[in-house]
Amino acid sequence: MKLRTVFPIVMLGLFLVLPIVVREGFYLDLLLFTFMYAAMSVGWDIMGGLAGYVSLGHVGFFGLGSYVAGLLVVHFGIPVFLSAPFVGILAGIVGAGLGWISLRARGTSFVIVTLTFTYVIQLVALNLRDITGGSSGLYLPLLTLPADVVILPFYYGMLVLLVVAILVSLAIRRSKFGLGLVAIREEEGKADGSGVNTSLYKILAFAISVSFAGVAGALHAQYLNYVDPDLAFELIITLNLIIMCLVGSRGTLWGPVLGAFLVQPLSQYLIYLTPSGIAGQVHLVALGVVLVLVVMFMPDGIITTWTSRRGGRGRARPVDAPERLPEAAT
Amino acid sequence: MNPQLLGQSIVLGILTGGVYALMASGLTLIFGVMRVVNVAHAAMIVMSAYLSWMLYRTLGLDPLLSIIVLMPVFFVLGALGQWVVLRRLGGRDLTLTVLVSFGFAIILEGLQGSLWSSSFQAINTAYSLDSFNILGIYVPLVRLLAAGAALALLGALFVVLSRTNLGRAIRATTQDPRSAALVGVNVEYVTTLAFGLGVAMAAAGGPLLGMLFAFYPATHWLWIGKLLAVVVLGGLGSLKGTFVAAMILGLAEQVATVTISLDWAPLVFYLFLFGVLIVRPRGLFGTVARESL
Repeated sequence: MKLRTVFPIVMLGLFLVLPIVVREGFYLDLLLFTFMYAAMSVGWDIMGGLAGYVSLGHVGFFGLGSYVAGLLVVHFGIPVFLSAPFVGILAGIVGAGLGWISLRARGTSFVIVTLTFTYVIQLVALNLRDITGGSSGLYLPLLTLPADVVILPFYYGMLVLLVVAILVSLAIRRSKFGLGLVAIREEEGKADGSGVNTSLYKILAFAISVSFAGVAGALHAQYLNYVDPDLAFELIITLNLIIMCLVGSRGTLWGPVLGAFLVQPLSQYLIYLTPSGIAGQVHLVALGVVLVLVVMFMPDGIITTWTSRRGGRGRARPVDAPERLPEAAT
Repeated sequence: MNPQLLGQSIVLGILTGGVYALMASGLTLIFGVMRVVNVAHAAMIVMSAYLSWMLYRTLGLDPLLSIIVLMPVFFVLGALGQWVVLRRLGGRDLTLTVLVSFGFAIILEGLQGSLWSSSFQAINTAYSLDSFNILGIYVPLVRLLAAGAALALLGALFVVLSRTNLGRAIRATTQDPRSAALVGVNVEYVTTLAFGLGVAMAAAGGPLLGMLFAFYPATHWLWIGKLLAVVVLGGLGSLKGTFVAAMILGLAEQVATVTISLDWAPLVFYLFLFGVLIVRPRGLFGTVARESL
């Protein structure tokens, strides 16, 4: 077996047994969030990297997932670990709706709609006071587990989400669907002309892309036992996803994962270094600066730059797709 | 609804709509020449509101007069930013330009938060609470002044765009950069100046925003949504369309405020925005996609 196959499996095994050795909440918490971001980044990349449509609104779906899961457990007593997959599907359906609004035409509408969606859903969460608790938020019942193992379901939950995200992304990359998405990214007009149903492909890709954010939001809400409109729609989440994908390499399977494993621990370390009073704001500025610098000087990211440096294949091929033209999809 | 309340909301709607038109004018201008949504536009407006607030508190400079100071400064910064950062990204990949403007929006928000904390501010001048009555309709003085200033600045922008060589070059670039280049327009140079002009219009909107509404660093997310609704309804890139759309949305918002509720009124913008995109996926006066088969 090749290193590319062995390494991820070894790492997965390591992460599975790690909680037996490491009992410190700090490290498990850090890893849990890294898994969460990696899973969401892999999701973001299906739309932003493969299809080349940059979403500025993934946190809207994260927040949607947080609220739906929170409301289900508070009003109907359905545990989050049971509802999470369905919350993901719901996020996907909402994503498809937004996609239908904004992806039938090329270009700007998508940016506009993803940018504004977060605010709309936040406004709804804030104004439906009777149901969501408005600005004072929603308290989720605590899991009935001993304090030293309560983190484990979330740790493994996020790890499972990451594994599923990677497998879905891999499956898409190996399919005609993935090839169609790459065709859309490279030359949408020609993709359309050669029979790719571009609107349907884009809408489907976006739905899949946001569903991971929905599930992550659901688990996150139960992890904190709390949701409120500020926490659920924290802008930094979208920003992190974009930075992670760009740093690792957009359009590659492992780029977003690598990006998350680099950026998240570093980011947490920087927060730890800055005085807590201004940490949030300074963090925002720092991430903004990082985004601008990465876009200006390293838009291809680590993996693509590395593979093309080694001279092998020029620009790294983002898909392992069969070498045939996509057939008409309708 | 009683007629007096309706008259009241129409007057307020028109006055506020004028200010929305001014704030959106820069966004539509920049979209016109670059084909990119400047995500940082509202953050620039809020930045200008903060600076105007500072100028008023420290030097006692009237917010309306601070427009004269802020516009040139923002023009230079905007043009410089375009020349140094955005121009380098070129037409290679428009998504990169969007990402940079997203980054700048966040940098501005974080800077405002670290400099002035994240609590609400408003510019309260000596005449902030003055108002007068016309036929039983209550007209706040600041709204009237802001609308007057907005109209004057929009008029000036319109004259620049329609009567000067730079304006003609900007309009030519908006229509088709390649053809504009063919007839001797230096597209790079014109794009930079147009970007600077758009940012200067954002600077002009800041003090007006600060006089009429409370603001805090994250408010720009609300505003960018409102302004995008205006710009999309007006047909991306069209100044006249933007003006009409700003009036329609200003009115719709005020009417929604009195008939439905203050909390839900902002949703009017998004309903219009999504509605227009559903009916006309390319925007109301959608332009033909440049890339062809």
